[in-house]
Amino acid sequence: MTVRWAYARFKPPPPPRPRMPSISNAASEAFELRGVSKRYGNIAALSEVSLRFPAGSKTALIGSSGSGKSTLLRVLLGLEWPDLGEIRVDGAALERTQVLALRRRVGYVIQEGGLFPHLTVLGNLALLPHHLGWSRERIRQRAEELAALTHLPPGALERYPAELSGGQRQRVALMRGLMLDPGALLLDEPLGALDPIVRHELQDELRAIFDQLGKTVIVVTHDIAEAAWFADRLVLMRNGKVVQDGRLDDLLQRPADPFVTRFVGAQRTLQGASP
Amino acid sequence: MKRRWLAMAAMLLLPMWTHAAPVRLGSKQFTESVILGEVARLAARQAGVQTVHQRELGGTAILWSALQHGDIDAYPEYTGTLTHELLKNVPPEADIPKLRAVLKPLGIGITDSLGFNDTYAIGMRADRAAQLGIKRLSDLVSHTQLRFGFSNEFMARSDGWPGLRQRYGLPQMQVRGLDHVLSYHALASDAVDAIDLYSTDAEIPYYHLRTLDDDRHYFPHYDAVYVYRLDLEQRSPAFVDSLKKLTGRIGADAMRQMNAMVKLHGEKETVVAAGFLGVQPDGDGVGRWTRLWLRTLEHLRLVLISLTAAVLIAIPLGVFAARAKRLGHLVMALSGVLQTIPSLAMFVFMIPFFGIGTWPAIAALFLYSLLPIVRNTYAGLTGIPPDLRESAAALGLPRGVRLRRVELPMAMRAILAGIKTAAVINVGTATLGALIGAGGYGQPIVTGIRLDDTGLILEGAIPAACMALVVQGLFEGVERWLTPRGMRLEARQ
Repeated sequence: MTVRWAYARFKPPPPPRPRMPSISNAASEAFELRGVSKRYGNIAALSEVSLRFPAGSKTALIGSSGSGKSTLLRVLLGLEWPDLGEIRVDGAALERTQVLALRRRVGYVIQEGGLFPHLTVLGNLALLPHHLGWSRERIRQRAEELAALTHLPPGALERYPAELSGGQRQRVALMRGLMLDPGALLLDEPLGALDPIVRHELQDELRAIFDQLGKTVIVVTHDIAEAAWFADRLVLMRNGKVVQDGRLDDLLQRPADPFVTRFVGAQRTLQGASP
Repeated sequence: MKRRWLAMAAMLLLPMWTHAAPVRLGSKQFTESVILGEVARLAARQAGVQTVHQRELGGTAILWSALQHGDIDAYPEYTGTLTHELLKNVPPEADIPKLRAVLKPLGIGITDSLGFNDTYAIGMRADRAAQLGIKRLSDLVSHTQLRFGFSNEFMARSDGWPGLRQRYGLPQMQVRGLDHVLSYHALASDAVDAIDLYSTDAEIPYYHLRTLDDDRHYFPHYDAVYVYRLDLEQRSPAFVDSLKKLTGRIGADAMRQMNAMVKLHGEKETVVAAGFLGVQPDGDGVGRWTRLWLRTLEHLRLVLISLTAAVLIAIPLGVFAARAKRLGHLVMALSGVLQTIPSLAMFVFMIPFFGIGTWPAIAALFLYSLLPIVRNTYAGLTGIPPDLRESAAALGLPRGVRLRRVELPMAMRAILAGIKTAAVINVGTATLGALIGAGGYGQPIVTGIRLDDTGLILEGAIPAACMALVVQGLFEGVERWLTPRGMRLEARQ
């Protein structure tokens, strides 16, 4: 892990201002799910999931495809609405009227970046700030700050997504998520589409950025090594249910279920084969 | 720059409001009707009445509808058409006084017969008929080997061949459908022995044909008359008088001759009509290039107005269809159904709402232009990858901003392609507007088809094709210009 030197140059943005007056200890939860269920036809994407994500914590959601981990991120942002149960954000139940405001306080990064092909990098970054009335100079200044943070080469701001490499696109997606300096970052397989070398490099950089910014981070991945690299807390999901919630050590030493051992084992064999 | 655009728009729109106070005559899309329209116009001019003549307004349905709705004031018609097609509950043998009584409550008047009966007849080559000794229709019964070639309309109508065969007990088995224009050639070249024709057709003397006597009175009377709106009797009594003075003056031979002058000798209808009345024709005095320019303006006006309106309505409809899935299917189905309505029928549907002339044509073209634009807008929007649409939502942008800044720009290419398709179809379909008096490049095509004059057809068809090509090229340029550069790049991996 050799990329730390880069961050010395970066001046961190001011710490996020407190959003909700603290009423009880519930306010320290950035996100909370209470008995949340969501079905698509016959398939239960989430079934009675209850989880808490304290402010400033880092959590990795792991599991096979279709285990419900992506759906979990989507209900937190109000992109899907649970059939049953409640989502709480900063201590208050999420309502439909607040969804837009919530999304602006949360950075969301998906696999392949989700960049808009008709806009340049700067155009992608400017979409929301422009709508909120930021000046052109302010947008550019913020974009340049974030370019330094994510090591985007100078000049890339004027390019179109199709002119960037996969790794660069992912950096831009992260920058777009960070434009408003949100309190939380939700990442859905952010490195899933990258080749192993770029992926490895970006894993390092992302972790450094997480450490430096101190935001609430929830990252979805199916790679247990990556999950453990990003977060101390791992939540293993299967068929819409939480199977185990703990540290890597807990999953290895005290599996809640034979599936935990199988999942961890399958992944470790792969990793162990290539030192 | 802006002012120039306004001036151009005004130039396109203005002629529509300079609607004439003069009496408006109409005629159907065949030579005899156009000649009779000109005869009436010139006779009215003699009487000092200002008239305009809207020539070649498609078929009976269009003229009848236009007369009833007051878009034209008078046109030449036939009694048989009134009894068989236009009026219900009228006995087929009703005479003119009877028709006058039936038409009066509708606000429509009818003159007495102009002097000839243009009915269906069966014709044979005079030499062949003489050789076989055939003079009357009942003489056909004993000649079972004769080959008949009938126009498709005559074959299908109950008062055509099926009824004729029954009335006379005709045994002939070799009966086939022919295009009416071709049937004379077929008869002349001995490909058939008898054809159906109209008793005043110009070709009868030209091909030396004998029309067989309808001795059992099968064919209804098609006495030529003028029908007119009764309110003319107050508005322009002199015009009605001039129509009435024409009754009884035009015999079958005179009509046949006038038809022949136009169809076979290439004379202008105005000249022929003026010759018949013994007055000076009033030349149109417009050169070919001026005419072409005027038609180009008319055509452009049809296309621009209908297409602009279609773009303004169809894009929101497409957006709506992409949003509301179930109602969206309904919108798509409806615009699809519109597309299946035959153009002429569509124009006829528009007459009660918009009269004749430019506006019904624009309305019809507007409806035809909807589908390609709605469909492409829908396809462009629903073709945006779901993860991109969700990315826009996850940023926290409101719906309207997402649509404007992300979804519509990404669908732009498809939308423009839809507009291009609509525009090219529009330029082509607008030529049919001539059938309801909208002018444009269709006018020489309609006249050319009627007179079997290829040069005249090309005078409309070539500029129309050129305009379609220009429109296509123009839109390709616009597409290039409006498609964001980022959308034209291939993604790097």
